Amino acid sequence: MQCSKCGNPKVIIKKEQSGQLLCKDCFIESIEKKVIKTVRKEKLLDKGDKVLVALSGGKDSVTTLEILNSFREMNIIDLCAVTVDEGIDNYRQEGVDIAIRHAQRLGIEHKVVSLKEEYGITLDEIMQRENHKGSCTYCGVFRRTIINKAARDMGATKIATGHNLDDEVQGIMMNYLEGNTDNLTKLGPKSESKAEEFTVKIKPLREIPEREIGLYVVAKELEVHFDSCPYAMQSFRGEVSEVLNQLSEKHPTIKYSTLRGYDKIKSALKDEFKKDYAHGRCKRCGEPSSNELCKACSFLEELGV
Amino acid sequence: MSFLLKFKSLEEEREIPNDEYTIRDLLNELELSAQTIVSKQNGELVIEDTIINDDDEIQLVQIIYGG
Repeated sequence: MQCSKCGNPKVIIKKEQSGQLLCKDCFIESIEKKVIKTVRKEKLLDKGDKVLVALSGGKDSVTTLEILNSFREMNIIDLCAVTVDEGIDNYRQEGVDIAIRHAQRLGIEHKVVSLKEEYGITLDEIMQRENHKGSCTYCGVFRRTIINKAARDMGATKIATGHNLDDEVQGIMMNYLEGNTDNLTKLGPKSESKAEEFTVKIKPLREIPEREIGLYVVAKELEVHFDSCPYAMQSFRGEVSEVLNQLSEKHPTIKYSTLRGYDKIKSALKDEFKKDYAHGRCKRCGEPSSNELCKACSFLEELGV
Repeated sequence: MSFLLKFKSLEEEREIPNDEYTIRDLLNELELSAQTIVSKQNGELVIEDTIINDDDEIQLVQIIYGG
């Protein structure tokens, strides 16, 4: 058994989808080349961009930062990062510390924003309230708002997230199965909004399977936070993920074909189903919102903070 | 014939049941999915088809968590 590219007998991965065997160096190179190819193909970066990486300290965001840094080293882009501290005891701090160390190692501008400082309440405190809507609902909305604000404060022209192939395919299937055509039009490598206040979001890792990102960080010996959020529970996303992984065992290319199929029909979906939202301002915080209150502020009002 | 298994905080000496015993067999025994784990044999990354030898140190790193 040897590396299909260089003949090295120390193979670290057998790619089920192609049968290709790769040694550590050739594997690392293949991941980095594939991300760079996605960036070029989807025109995710423009020369002179300042890219804000949403850096949790987990494998996906650390890989995003690591590979985008190669564009920074070539003076194509500038890089900065934001880490959201949701206020989850015995979980979040390790990721925050790891994120700080990566930003220092690469010498990039970085800020940590906590829910407590921003909104006066932590996720742990929200979860102690009766009639809460579930942790992920708040976490997703507050995090998105904080990241958007950070992008404006730091003068970023793009926001890069660590969404991988599995995340993207789960999103496609979930929205399809739920008949959510509105959300289906919003997926893809690059999301743009007509509201100037929303910075363009890019997903450089969307063609890399989640397991390969895990292998990449271990192979490159990158420090990451491998742990499960204590609020993670059996969700619809989890169920869809399980089905997709089961199907992948007998049909190893199925995640790629789902992604390719979606990419082919996306423009037709947008033409047919894209809604034009009214662009107003939230009367409480001034953030862009299609309603009187933005989602974050309507949650805050319900929570009485 | 035995090997040292390291997984999270667990560290235990385990018997090698036969000459063809692979990391994949070990994962199946532990009911772990190869999709969520990467494996190291004596400190070096290896694939799941790797045969476990006497005195090996096998480290399993969980890279994907649910939720």
